[in-house]
Amino acid sequence: MYIYDDFDHTIAKQRVAEFRDQVNRRIKGELTEEQFRPLRLMNGLYLQLHAYMLRIAVPYGTLSAAQMRKLAHIARVYDRGYGHFTTRQNIQYNWIKLEQVPDLMAELATVQLHGNQTSGNCVRNVTADHFSGVIDGEIEDPRIVSEAIRQWSTFHPEFSWLPRKFKIAVTGAEKDRAAVQWHDIGLHIVRDDAGEVGYAVYVGGGMGRIPVLATKVRGFLPKRELLSYLEAILRVYNRYGRRDNIHKARIKILVRDLGPEEFIRQVEEEWEASRHSGVNLPPEEEIRIARYFEPPAYEKIAVPVAAFEDAKKANRAFAQWISTNVHPHKTPGYAIVTISLKPIGGIPGDASAEQMEAVASLAERFSLAEIRVSHIQNLVLPHVRQADLFAVWQELGKIGFANANAGLVTDIIACPGLDYCSLANARSIPVAQRISERFADLDRQHKIGALQIKISGCINACGHHHAGHIGILGVDKAGQEFYQLTLGGAGDETASTGQLIGPGFSSDGIVDAVEKVIDAYLDLRQPNETFISAYRRVGPAPFKEKLYGVSR
Amino acid sequence: MASPVNQVGSNRVLDRNGPITDGWERLADDETVKPGAAVLVSFQRLKNEHNALFAEAAAVGVEVGGDVNLDELEPFLPRLGLIVVRFAFMRDGRPFSVGRLLRERFHYTRDLRAVGDFIPDQILFLLRCGFNSFEAGPDFSVDALKHGVAAYTVWYQRGVERNVTIAERRLGKENLGQESA
Ligand code: SF4
Repeated sequence: MYIYDDFDHTIAKQRVAEFRDQVNRRIKGELTEEQFRPLRLMNGLYLQLHAYMLRIAVPYGTLSAAQMRKLAHIARVYDRGYGHFTTRQNIQYNWIKLEQVPDLMAELATVQLHGNQTSGNCVRNVTADHFSGVIDGEIEDPRIVSEAIRQWSTFHPEFSWLPRKFKIAVTGAEKDRAAVQWHDIGLHIVRDDAGEVGYAVYVGGGMGRIPVLATKVRGFLPKRELLSYLEAILRVYNRYGRRDNIHKARIKILVRDLGPEEFIRQVEEEWEASRHSGVNLPPEEEIRIARYFEPPAYEKIAVPVAAFEDAKKANRAFAQWISTNVHPHKTPGYAIVTISLKPIGGIPGDASAEQMEAVASLAERFSLAEIRVSHIQNLVLPHVRQADLFAVWQELGKIGFANANAGLVTDIIACPGLDYCSLANARSIPVAQRISERFADLDRQHKIGALQIKISGCINACGHHHAGHIGILGVDKAGQEFYQLTLGGAGDETASTGQLIGPGFSSDGIVDAVEKVIDAYLDLRQPNETFISAYRRVGPAPFKEKLYGVSR
Repeated sequence: MASPVNQVGSNRVLDRNGPITDGWERLADDETVKPGAAVLVSFQRLKNEHNALFAEAAAVGVEVGGDVNLDELEPFLPRLGLIVVRFAFMRDGRPFSVGRLLRERFHYTRDLRAVGDFIPDQILFLLRCGFNSFEAGPDFSVDALKHGVAAYTVWYQRGVERNVTIAERRLGKENLGQESA
């Protein structure tokens, strides 16, 4: 993991002092709410329906056990005893008091955590594959460049007041677990024909009311030149992105309005003029950062591991959990464990202080004190010996986190929705809970197989419904909560936008509708065909028929 | 009547340390130039009347918006003594890019000033993008300004002031920033 040096600590401390001063000025009335608003947002502080919400970054999804303990402490002391892991590798607390935030931030800073740029019209917390560094076939650990981007984007003098929020994601393996094509900038680490490492650069992806998959602006950008290229993109956006209409201010609209060719031309022109201005990272600095992400000292383990294989045979529930929640690790004898934060009927992504502490302890005992946060609102133990899997599973069971449903129908993403969010049209969490209860039967879930349901409470799409195999969007219909259903979205390297299947459903009807869609899939699927593959093969017609009774 | 900028309405001009005296007069497009005055005019007027302006005034400054076409401004740069960039609203981020481009790409070296609804907490960012003076309203807190510019002592990025970046400090290259200025 990256460890702060004196410079990083200085910046972190100065940020806390600055925000303390800003909060004091706000409380004394020296700053108006209008002036204070962008400042607090850039520290992750939102004013929600009932209280302040604080969003804390988990940079590129990597947490130490000590950091997790601190998050638990924050939940207990400053909130109501729990936190909420989000779709952007952040954690949110929903019941925060403004006057306590500076002290809270000071506590976070002691363990390299912060709320910097988790909101506001600036470069947001950079996200990365939650299996970074431990998955086979990775060209390079994306956290190296993510840390470089974190530093470069922190309090950037020129790009802290962009037209709109700006999200960057990085992935380093062929399989894209970071949804890079759904981001303002997506970086896919690749090799060119000469074997040199660089990036395929995607720009202008985004959800919201106009879902757009990113445009590939460069097939290969040499690694060394990344930061100057990012500056060129951001400068074109900062100067020419729309500021007159919040719904048209994302970079995706600029790319669309200029046309991809013209956008690329302007970026390349800007880059030619500025690429030698000393923005790129000195090579030594990249090497310095990379050192923090070198693989830990793994034990040499002979495989197969008999105890593990025996436990799988002896215990069906354990075997089921292995099949969904455990991924192969690049090191023989190790495994990657996904801790599902999706108990049946629970709130997706929620964890109590006690659960966080238990996960921290498990990480210390079994995962080299490291934890990951995934954008699917789950946690990951990245370095577990296969021989320890059974113990880990049993311990997770004690805190209600042994749900064998990672990647299945009840592994639902949901935004906070009308229960918390002032922008919402409809509730998201209760819909997730009811779907989860409907499909509680684990055998049925495993029979259905890989399926992503994603729920947003309004068109802002924080629940990523556009990228859900099944997407659910809450709308307001004459004062009633109503839900639209989209099918066929995806967030991986085969990214696609879900299509509206037909008229929406009432709050009561939406769960039945989801069940009908799944029944239709089970009827028509071919052997080993996942939901998304089946949908892509047959299209919407059979699903429409099942839902609305008429074939058109 | 034209009057010095630091008395226009109740605005005043500041630099990073606080209020300064300032002799520029902001002229409406139909106001005549007092010979020997330092005048601040709109970009439209500059384009229309640059010959007369440069002949009559002791010094000429121009006010532009964040949407300024810098290629159009470029021919005038060597003779301008002041460029004022207006924030259309507090969260208008374009002046930051305009400042940096004027300094780094167009090598403009004289007074670069921001005007508009920015707040003291943004001044450090503006300084780092090449601005050196600020025209602000009466509510603009000089205390907050002084606090704000001292808020940070190290940076990850290089600013227009050619500071040593943190990455360079890590390498022990304490002087690199200044040398390449
Ligand atoms: S999608 Fe809408 S309701 Fe859900 S969190 Fe985002 S803004 Fe709020």
